[in-house]
Amino acid sequence: MKLKEKVVFITEADTGSGTAFLHRLALEGAHFILNSASGGSEIAENLDRVRRGGSNVFVANADLSRSIEVNDLFREAEQAVGTVDVLIHNADLVKPALVETCDEETFLAVMNANAKSAFICTQAAGRQMRAKQSGKIIYVTSIHAEKPTGSSFAYSASKGAVKMLAREAALILGRSGVNVNTIELGPLEEDAPPFPSRLTTIYDDYRYKVPDAVLGTYGDLAELALYLASDGARYVNGADIRLDGGFLMHYSDRKMKKV
Amino acid sequence: MTISGKNAIVTGAGTGIGRGVALELAKRGASVAVHYNSSEAGAFQTKRLIDEAGGSCITVKANVASKEEIDRMVETVADRFGRIDILVSNAALQLNLDLFGHDDDTYDRTMNTNVKGYWQTIQAVVPHMKSRNHGRIILVSSVHSKRPTDFDPIYAMSKGAIRMLGRESAIELAGYGITVNMIEPGAIDVGKFRTGSAQSPELFKKFPGGRVGLPSDVAELVCYIAGDATSFMTGTAIRLDGASMLL
Repeated sequence: MKLKEKVVFITEADTGSGTAFLHRLALEGAHFILNSASGGSEIAENLDRVRRGGSNVFVANADLSRSIEVNDLFREAEQAVGTVDVLIHNADLVKPALVETCDEETFLAVMNANAKSAFICTQAAGRQMRAKQSGKIIYVTSIHAEKPTGSSFAYSASKGAVKMLAREAALILGRSGVNVNTIELGPLEEDAPPFPSRLTTIYDDYRYKVPDAVLGTYGDLAELALYLASDGARYVNGADIRLDGGFLMHYSDRKMKKV
Repeated sequence: MTISGKNAIVTGAGTGIGRGVALELAKRGASVAVHYNSSEAGAFQTKRLIDEAGGSCITVKANVASKEEIDRMVETVADRFGRIDILVSNAALQLNLDLFGHDDDTYDRTMNTNVKGYWQTIQAVVPHMKSRNHGRIILVSSVHSKRPTDFDPIYAMSKGAIRMLGRESAIELAGYGITVNMIEPGAIDVGKFRTGSAQSPELFKKFPGGRVGLPSDVAELVCYIAGDATSFMTGTAIRLDGASMLL
């Protein structure tokens, strides 16, 4: 059991990635603080399952881009399950809009959901981790922290911002025994990529742009998060790990593994 | 290079890098809109330097955290100059607070000026460039779009966001004849860092050439990118730091 008695905070528990983290890390003995957009109702079965397995679970529904709500959440969660050992920030709001025509409301919605929440949660979790001189922070970002989407610039800007937050936190919290890393996620089996674009062909035939033509799953994501959350990853800090099966390496269409 | 006769907006031109860029563009014959917000005296000093050099400029005030003020600024410049060829976005906020010193408000102030402001300024000039199928947008970013600062994480977040804003803008606006590039300066002598007359041994420890950058170093690069020889160059970020990030 790699996470026995560790408290894991998952910022978006109702999502596909949130569910995968919950089940995988529960098998390793973790307890949970879950921020759930449905207040737990959409994940009731999952909660039952991990509770039966022995995990303590605290469920909240906070706006993570507001310190006041996050501080309340951490205070209540501390009473219920303890302070945070592992922060998994998996906010991933996409709203297609072009640089030329996007409105301010859309831009701010995406930036706040993905980037401001990362800052606020890092600050709150960082205080607790600094106090106990240990912790792990994992941001699930995207290959679009590097590669433009051609359809959702605020999304990639938000992921670019989180990339730098991670590097900063790797320094300042690194001095308190905390490891901070990002996972730059590519397309997965479960969800079609939400980036329709007339500007880039990146997602045309995307399955075959993964060299082995096999897409990853949320299970693969959870395995990497488990590694980063465990003691075995103690020397991994300030890193961006691309999890895309080699998708972003693709260059030559004619060599795709397409039978 | 073909700067002469072009019209440019330089944001944050009341101080440091922005002043150096505005002055050099004007010396080479561009009409320059010297933008400022809080640095009014500085902007008039920039204007004085341009006037003395025989250049042509106007000053324009706007808070780039406000879309309304950006739009008004760009309309004012378009009315006065007739067209806009070059945008140099440079106005940025750096509060020098650490991870625990920042709060919701300082986060918003930094990001609204540095990221939202850069984006909405692009948005405001695009119609003026698109109509003529030509434009040069230059985003002054920082080495801290890749390298952490260790003194202001939100500033670095804003620069990380600008890196992707620049890349997205480049692919989106290329079809309109507009290029979008970024300059990533390291330490620039704008008061905090002094080059001095003698090169100190201490400087060599951080800068292989024994000096920090000058606003004129950035200005020279801006003038190159703003010229007509660079139509194929877009979506790039040029680190301009005397190789200090390589040490």
